[in-house]
Amino acid sequence: MGNPMRIRAAEKDGVTEVKVLMNHEMETGQRKDSSGNLIPAHFISELTAKHGDKVVLQAEFGPSVSKNPFLSFKFKGGAKGDKVVVSWIDNKGDTRSDEATIG
Amino acid sequence: MSRFSKTVVAALLAGCALGAHALDRYPGLGRVATAEEVKAWDIDVRPDFVGLPKGSGSVDDGADIFENKCASCHGSFGESNEVFTPLVGGTTKEDVQTGRVKALVTGSFPQRTTFMKVPTISTLFDYIQRAMPWTAPKSLKPDEVYAVLAYLLNLAEVVPADFVLSDQNIRDVQNLMPNRNGMSTDHGMWPGRGMGNGGKPDVKNVACMKDCKTEVKLTSSLPEYAQDAHGNLADQNRLVGGVRGKQTVAPAEGDEKAIAGQPSTNAIATALATEKGCMACHGVANKIVGPSYQDVAAKYKGQDGAEARLVAKVKSGGQGVWGAIPMPAQSHVKDEEISKLVQWILSGAKAQ
Repeated sequence: MGNPMRIRAAEKDGVTEVKVLMNHEMETGQRKDSSGNLIPAHFISELTAKHGDKVVLQAEFGPSVSKNPFLSFKFKGGAKGDKVVVSWIDNKGDTRSDEATIG
Repeated sequence: MSRFSKTVVAALLAGCALGAHALDRYPGLGRVATAEEVKAWDIDVRPDFVGLPKGSGSVDDGADIFENKCASCHGSFGESNEVFTPLVGGTTKEDVQTGRVKALVTGSFPQRTTFMKVPTISTLFDYIQRAMPWTAPKSLKPDEVYAVLAYLLNLAEVVPADFVLSDQNIRDVQNLMPNRNGMSTDHGMWPGRGMGNGGKPDVKNVACMKDCKTEVKLTSSLPEYAQDAHGNLADQNRLVGGVRGKQTVAPAEGDEKAIAGQPSTNAIATALATEKGCMACHGVANKIVGPSYQDVAAKYKGQDGAEARLVAKVKSGGQGVWGAIPMPAQSHVKDEEISKLVQWILSGAKAQ
């Protein structure tokens, strides 16, 4: 179970803007530690955002994405009070899912 | 800030005591500030919470205010690095326990965020109230400042999401600040003898009274092992002009003069050819007006008496051997210099 995400979703004129701040190391697997050993890769590989049952965003992440990634996207059809669920899975099989209410 | 306001208060008190006198002395100039005016100026909040206005604000309220008034510069979660350094990040749950941000010591976080550095919550309150938002400072009401601060504290994982910050519990939150024990006054940067190390300065400039250096000599040089970091500088400078590169790579065997730091015979001849103007018409490897030295060396290679013939040609000039353009007589060059140059040319006109 990874660290919690911060999600903010706000609806305006029929468009819902979702902002997500993930909390993840995002190691590329190319860095070395102080003793010269490679630090093993550890990054989010897949991210899914759902509005109800409908997938509104699906993304493949990789080692080029920064530590603690910030993601922002918009979709149509959300209403105030609906739930947005964002979940990711990383290359070690760890997952995390958080939700926010559209305000 | 607090010092400034003390000055204002002191000035006010002085003004009250001497007000009538001052006004008599400069009739028609100024007036004593009213209590309301002083109150409007005196907005600072000190670490002991003197000056803290009453009020409260929740994390949720703060999130809305932050989104509307702060997020465009600081990012929705105080994480943005685009306009200013991030407000939040780099602090851990253990830091909240210990009161010292570990990342500041280990350098494990690439930046220093506001919450990593700030030791007193009053500073944050004061700054938000005084200076934020950038475009409309002092526009936030106390309750809004409490709310924004509560949201930031929640982002920094200092307080839970349902927290309501108020003038009642702000002292308790001070005891949760991640870097509350990070402030030190034990250095001479802190003013006053009553503070820190007793006012002993960090630097000590003592006038020299004995065996002093008579002149200041500024030099710079690379350490021995790094001298050849860019190869041999002597090889990289042009052969013309007054600047010679330093010999930074140990020369090959047989070039003892260069080892000793003396210019080699070839280098002397090159400099001489430059000085006497030969290089204006002759290149070492390429034809300019006259033939290149290497062409000359190739043409006369192995011929008996070539040196004497060439010395004579340089001295009195010549025409026809390399084309129609004549070489004028070089009477300004001394005989021994000419023979030195000719020897150098016939030996292949090497630079070093």
